[in-house]
Amino acid sequence: MTRLREALDGIAAEAPLVDLADVAVAGNRRRRRGTAVLAAVVTVAVVGVASTAVALPWQRADRTATPQRVDGVPDLPDGAVGPIAYAFRTPCETQSNPVRIDCGTVEWRVVTRSGRTYRMPQALVSTAKDNDVPVAISRDGRMLVYYNRQAQAHVVRDLVGGTQVTSPVTVKEERIGMGSMLALSDDGRYVIFDPREGTKDPGLLIDVRTGKSRPVDGKYEVVSIKGGVAVLVRYVKTDLWRMPVTGGGRPVRFDGKFIMFSEIAPDGRTVAAIEWPDHTKRRLTVLDAKSGRILRKVSIRGLPAGGDKAMVNTALWTSGSEVAVVYQSRDDVRTYAVNVKTGQAHQMARYPVDRSRRGLVLPGVASR
Amino acid sequence: MDRHDDFREFVLARQQALVRTAYLLTGDAHLAEDLLQSVLIKVAGKWPKLSRGGNPEAYTRKALVNQYISWKRRLRPEVPSTELPERGASHDDAALHRIVLRQALARLAPRQRAVIVLRFWEDLTEAQTAEALGCSPGTVKSQAHHALARLRAFAPELACLLNDSEMEEVAR
Repeated sequence: MTRLREALDGIAAEAPLVDLADVAVAGNRRRRRGTAVLAAVVTVAVVGVASTAVALPWQRADRTATPQRVDGVPDLPDGAVGPIAYAFRTPCETQSNPVRIDCGTVEWRVVTRSGRTYRMPQALVSTAKDNDVPVAISRDGRMLVYYNRQAQAHVVRDLVGGTQVTSPVTVKEERIGMGSMLALSDDGRYVIFDPREGTKDPGLLIDVRTGKSRPVDGKYEVVSIKGGVAVLVRYVKTDLWRMPVTGGGRPVRFDGKFIMFSEIAPDGRTVAAIEWPDHTKRRLTVLDAKSGRILRKVSIRGLPAGGDKAMVNTALWTSGSEVAVVYQSRDDVRTYAVNVKTGQAHQMARYPVDRSRRGLVLPGVASR
Repeated sequence: MDRHDDFREFVLARQQALVRTAYLLTGDAHLAEDLLQSVLIKVAGKWPKLSRGGNPEAYTRKALVNQYISWKRRLRPEVPSTELPERGASHDDAALHRIVLRQALARLAPRQRAVIVLRFWEDLTEAQTAEALGCSPGTVKSQAHHALARLRAFAPELACLLNDSEMEEVAR
């Protein structure tokens, strides 16, 4: 045995003890139920039953596949509830001895800026094939987009005006692959849906007002849509493409590899990103999105120390000189505003999500 | 007899080995469990076909690696679970090597990490590793070479682990 294998063996020995047989069988049965319901409803639709009659079984089926939790959180009502601060996917419920994990109750929830939490049973949380289905929030928290199984389309809610628009562009549930992404423009008019990030499968830019759509090069991933321009990034060489929602624009190539891109700064040409693979160094790189030049590298000061914490993304610009970074620990997720000239950071918000961190959605940030 | 009895038997027999692979790939106990669970749910659905003539373990391993690579594409960096301790009497060399290796593995690209785990821990052949990763044996060889070079660059203190002649042969 090589010494490397011995060391790997030592790490592997720290793996958790698991008891997954019953959990996997239960999960498979849940999937099969979801698929069977889908097939049944499609059949009903094909034989020409009126759409209103089709709607009822769907609603019942959704509730069966995703039972309600009994923690008294109300459903998101129709109408205005005020802007939202974030959305999150509830974690699977776990029980020890015997180990059981129930993911049948996982659902999307939103939390308003005033602190109220609502369930969103109308937002599909996972497909019949168990692929996560994202939601996205506009930069100001006013608009929310989610995928609705009944409509087979995305729905944009104005949570301040109290209105709702269902996208005229049908997206079959089977199109939503593993690691699909969603982004929403500030006015809620444009949605970018990427069926599977990291593949060449093209995305879709949807104008929910007109019903027009255009493909988005699958080699690119969406970062944000702001001011009529979608920011798309290709990670291999690191190209950034500021693509107008009407099409056009050209990618610019950066010298180096970068991840975790911010939206475009208020100056219309600067972005912040983290250099790969130095993402553990707490250093921000400020880039010129027009020329591709590196403007500066800034070491971030003022983030809490600790080996269990890491920067996991950048987010919105809070002013012309400060960009938010998302910082994750085992217990919560926090956002910090970082001055891109001095590197000084100060905490903006704390999100009490731990294991459900993969499901935290912040305003203005493309979500998965 | 429940149609899932054979599947349960397979999981009971292999789940600890598989979760160790998942743990080496993800570096996180919770993620490893989540990863294996989601893969086993899919395997349960394909069990009738797999049990009739397929190779359930190879299929599960391949699904595990592919799911892991797909998750890593989301670019959420791993949160290291352990800080590198000061060298002292309480840590022997093997423990230090594990900690440094864990941190260096976290910096590898997902495919490179998968190659390290499959080739040097699972002891799969080039062809088996290529099958699991869905690439050519030549790609496995080059990925292994690059992965070892990167581990050496990230963690020079692991030279005694990484300069083994047997390993060089594998990566050549």
